[in-house]
Amino acid sequence: MGVFRRVNGLGLLTMIVLLGLWEVLVRSGALDFQNLPAPSAVAARAQDLVASGELLVNLLHTVRVTLLGWLIASVVGVGLGLVLGLWRPAWRWSMASLEMLRAVPPISLVPLALFVFGFSVRTELTLIIYASSWPVLINTIEGVRTVEQELHDVARMLRLSQVKTLRKIVLPAALPSVVVGLQLSLSLALVLAVVAELVGNPSGLGNGLILAQLALRPEQVFVYVFTIGLLGIVLNAAFRQVAARAFGPAIRGQGGAP
Amino acid sequence: MTVEETTPPGPAIDGAPRAVACRCRDTSVDLSFRGGSRRILDDVNLELLDGEFVSILGRSGSGKTTLLRVLGGLLEPGPGSLVQFHGESVVGPPEGVVFVFQNYAASLLPWRTISKNVALGLEGRVPRREMPSRIQEALGMVGLQDRAQDYPWQMSGGMQQRVQLARSLAMRPRGLLMDEPFGSLDAMTKASLQDQLQQVHQRTGTTIAFVTHDIDEAVFLSDRILILGGSPATVEHDIRVDLPRPRDQLATKELPEFLRLRRCVYNAIAAPGG
Repeated sequence: MGVFRRVNGLGLLTMIVLLGLWEVLVRSGALDFQNLPAPSAVAARAQDLVASGELLVNLLHTVRVTLLGWLIASVVGVGLGLVLGLWRPAWRWSMASLEMLRAVPPISLVPLALFVFGFSVRTELTLIIYASSWPVLINTIEGVRTVEQELHDVARMLRLSQVKTLRKIVLPAALPSVVVGLQLSLSLALVLAVVAELVGNPSGLGNGLILAQLALRPEQVFVYVFTIGLLGIVLNAAFRQVAARAFGPAIRGQGGAP
Repeated sequence: MTVEETTPPGPAIDGAPRAVACRCRDTSVDLSFRGGSRRILDDVNLELLDGEFVSILGRSGSGKTTLLRVLGGLLEPGPGSLVQFHGESVVGPPEGVVFVFQNYAASLLPWRTISKNVALGLEGRVPRREMPSRIQEALGMVGLQDRAQDYPWQMSGGMQQRVQLARSLAMRPRGLLMDEPFGSLDAMTKASLQDQLQQVHQRTGTTIAFVTHDIDEAVFLSDRILILGGSPATVEHDIRVDLPRPRDQLATKELPEFLRLRRCVYNAIAAPGG
């Protein structure tokens, strides 16, 4: 129930006041931008979109693709990260290529993905997996490579085998870093899902957003923007809950994330 | 805590020489640094007898820790060196030798409870049903049997160091190598851990090599004190400590013999090459 306990009353009040101010400014004509709707208009539009089911369909698509892409990226990132972090030759051979690839902003690969996969969910998944593999990968490598020398000495003097050292010392010591990577990746997965839907795959919240803009419906644009923002918050909070439950005792005391 | 009566492993009783637990012959160590290697230890010769408590003293940077790591098989000595533990050449950490590190916080596993930390070296070696009693025995020796389910980060520094000691004792070692184990503890905690270590030594008869920079501590605990000096370092002095055991924080430290040894050790360290 940590999510609800963390709701802060004063912060909520600030938000309500700001929304009220926005409403008043738009209605009084003090703010006179073209196409800037009042919050009440946005809320009304949101009700319509919920009632028609359009918002839910788009939301579900984005959630599903984000989570699927993130899960695959997590497996790839952790697996590859362990190999690169633990096996020096692999690291030496591939680090230059990885640094090179990492320097390319994933968004610049959108046209390439479109060439290969067309306007499809495959384009979207590819972009999500590619982009969100990086934080897990880098954090896993960091995690296993920066295990304290003392812990390696402890393993040696207790004469632990290599497998036992990995299982009982290196992996648990790397866990906090890996979890931070997973969390960063999840945020990135949502960003890439929306980008891919804006320009590539014609479904999901991003697509809803771009269609609303093309249809000149600013209230609808705002509904999608808010939905995407809320989704980001919910995904992050859910991750923290799950991670704290799954890894809590394993991470506390290591200065780790959640 | 009850201490079982065993023969105190003080200096060898006349006519009954004890076995050699640990032997170094012509041992040298070169460590490589950026821009070349430097000789840290040169021509070190020493013998630790079975059950003996030997402190290794020297100024900081004199190679005390390096020597201890060589004895523990954590560091490979240079060519021509001979390092043995109970007659067997040391290649990697030998069976029956356990190292206690100075940095206790970094040497415990923060994701394991105290009892799981103590279990680390036993897992896969001791039958599962024997584990709880081995863990309790080790924790009992350092007075932490009530904290088995806590985590290291919930404890003070002194307690964490006791956990590390318990983890080593659980292995029932024949040799205990301790690298400035009480170096970063306050005076009161240090004294109580010294008492506890003394009891453990009496009870188990383990051979202990103890690196420290604290002269009082070395005289108080040891049967013998080795002083490293020179650059590269070698054993410059070998001082026998014949104080009666068990030793007491107040009474022992007021004995004229304690004060004489203290002065003797101080002078030996202060006068390089002396």
